[in-house]
Amino acid sequence: MDLSLFFQQFLNGLSIGSVYAIFALGYTLIFSILGIINFAHGAIFTLGAYFTYALMGGAFGFNGLFANVQLPIRLPFIFALLLGSTLAGLVGVAVERLAFRPLRRQGADPLLTVVSSLGVALVIVNLIQYLVGAESYTFPANTYGNLPPSINFGTPESPIPIRTVQIVIFGVSVLILLILSYFINRTKYGKAMRAVAEDGLTASLLGINTDFFIVLTFFISSFLAGLAGTLVGSSVSIAGPYFGIAVGLKGLAVIVLGGLGSIPGAVVGGLAIGLVEAFVPGEFSAYKDAVAFGILFFMLLVKPEGLLGRRFVQKV
Amino acid sequence: MKKFAAHRTCALLVTFALLLSACGETNSGSNSSTETTSSTTAGSSGAIPIGIAVGQTGNVGLIGQESVAGAKIAEKYFNDKGGVDGTPIKLIFEDTGGDEAGAINAFQSLITKHKVVGIVGPSRSQQGFAAQPVANNAKVPVLGPSTTAKGIPQIGDYIARVSAPVTVVAPNAVKAAIKINPKLKRVAVFYAQDDAYSKSETDIFQQTVKEQGLELVTVQKFQTTDTDFQTQATNGMNLKPDLVIISSLTSDGGNLVRQLRELGYKGLIIGGNGLNTPNVYPVCKALCDGVLVAQAYSPEHSGEINNVYRTAYTNQYKKDPPQFSAQAFTAVQVFVEALTAVDQKTDISKMSLPQLRTELNKQILAGKYDTPIGEISFTSEGEIVQKDFYVAQIKMDADGNKGKFTYLK
Repeated sequence: MDLSLFFQQFLNGLSIGSVYAIFALGYTLIFSILGIINFAHGAIFTLGAYFTYALMGGAFGFNGLFANVQLPIRLPFIFALLLGSTLAGLVGVAVERLAFRPLRRQGADPLLTVVSSLGVALVIVNLIQYLVGAESYTFPANTYGNLPPSINFGTPESPIPIRTVQIVIFGVSVLILLILSYFINRTKYGKAMRAVAEDGLTASLLGINTDFFIVLTFFISSFLAGLAGTLVGSSVSIAGPYFGIAVGLKGLAVIVLGGLGSIPGAVVGGLAIGLVEAFVPGEFSAYKDAVAFGILFFMLLVKPEGLLGRRFVQKV
Repeated sequence: MKKFAAHRTCALLVTFALLLSACGETNSGSNSSTETTSSTTAGSSGAIPIGIAVGQTGNVGLIGQESVAGAKIAEKYFNDKGGVDGTPIKLIFEDTGGDEAGAINAFQSLITKHKVVGIVGPSRSQQGFAAQPVANNAKVPVLGPSTTAKGIPQIGDYIARVSAPVTVVAPNAVKAAIKINPKLKRVAVFYAQDDAYSKSETDIFQQTVKEQGLELVTVQKFQTTDTDFQTQATNGMNLKPDLVIISSLTSDGGNLVRQLRELGYKGLIIGGNGLNTPNVYPVCKALCDGVLVAQAYSPEHSGEINNVYRTAYTNQYKKDPPQFSAQAFTAVQVFVEALTAVDQKTDISKMSLPQLRTELNKQILAGKYDTPIGEISFTSEGEIVQKDFYVAQIKMDADGNKGKFTYLK
């Protein structure tokens, strides 16, 4: 592989890896609080993209209940992104209230909660299809203003083109990760969230409203999913209602690789999977998902706590 | 307790991942206005049931929804004309989803529960190889509306198709590309390796490339569910191809076109059957411009029935009809005309259902039909014999919101 191709593939890996990282952070936040995986996360990722698309004045196609419907609103991308992600966050809160809290209150086996969230995921995906059909939707060409579609990092003779949207995605992802890191480590709310994650019962005895922080965690997690969905959608189009499923599965590989419940692990795992995928040789590129899950299996076998996870020691 | 739960969840991750993956492509069951007929002979319930088993959900939903649109227009048109000698037809829709299991379920439901006289479907060749043997074993005639892979008619005596095989259609696009750019030499091929049709189509494309004396510089693979093609596009573009050929479904292929163009690829692009639909416009928008597609249908075909069909479709959907809709209309038309021919020999309301299905199958293969896709007939194997083929080039408006297929001479 020559240097220019290596550089291109490295940036490709960073771009998609950073999206995996944001997405997996949502999984990780909920896992660290409740000790379960929210399988509706991929569906909320998809919803976020649809919300943003609609708020930008995107029209829906010829199928579904909203055929040819266009919202009488045309927000600029940045506002649509924030509002769309906020709506995705609110859907996450609704999911917590409907699919998680009732079971938690009954002291149900966490496995039932996982199945419940899987059901919610399928309901959301099919509801999307019922409302807007199976068509793909693409964000307007001027979503990122007048930026060129790609930037040449090489020379005119030996071009190294990188799509502008990839660079934007990577930049936004880094910014979001920094903000989230600051929020969790430096703010009162973040510290309270960490306390609930560490030991919910003790935290509530110390006066922390655990229910509130669980809802807040769901909101932040789903906000991040919606944001990631929009970023990916702006890069590759919203490829139908099942758009988030594959990313959702990849997110599982990311958090297992990084370490269940580890926020830095989600970032490292996301970037690692993204980079590994990017460097899968061309003739095997269709097997990049298998590579990601191969890493998952390998990690479960040799280091089940993941790269940055804590080893679980059971006291007897 | 929470830690126990955490590790149990961890252990179950893979199981659920696979489950969710499976669910992602399953069908959502019966769809549309279906009335079960409990009759064992066609006509005794007042309408002749014909099954439409196409994928309205999943990654094949775009194709299936187009098929549904064409079939519904056909149902109304032929019933307005009196159906089968005065007996209306009743289309019964079953969603196959995008996978093989969904197609098998849909076929079984149509055969055993709804007791249809014949089936139009499924959408994908991959599903056809799984589900059509079910109908063949039950001696139920099937017309594939968009199953173009090699080997489909050979599944059995009761399996035919109204979709011209990729072997016939695909080479036309390569020849058209050479005509546009006689200097082209280097060809990069991309295809969805998890789709039987795409695999079949790319084999034909690659064979045509070699036969035309072109150099195949790379073959890049992906999955129909992929959305990010940076790796493949970068690998392909670094080999400086003059022509890119894509065999895929609609969404993945449109995405690949977009990403290639955004990375600066300026050469010709040929799309296979998956890009042969206006549904690709919203995916790559202005960047769809210039993509070449070989087609088995042109909205501009001058036949009378095509004019009727095109008008009905355009009035309803405000755009020109795509190939998949035209082929579904054609499939329903073949059933109606074959049923009419059978009825004129023997009153079909007095036939048992198995007898009717067998006679209908014989008549389908024996008849000639003037349809929106032109004059067609069938070989004894069930392969379509079609005269007219086209090569179209996508032309997009400047804003990228509207486009059309312009036909190359």
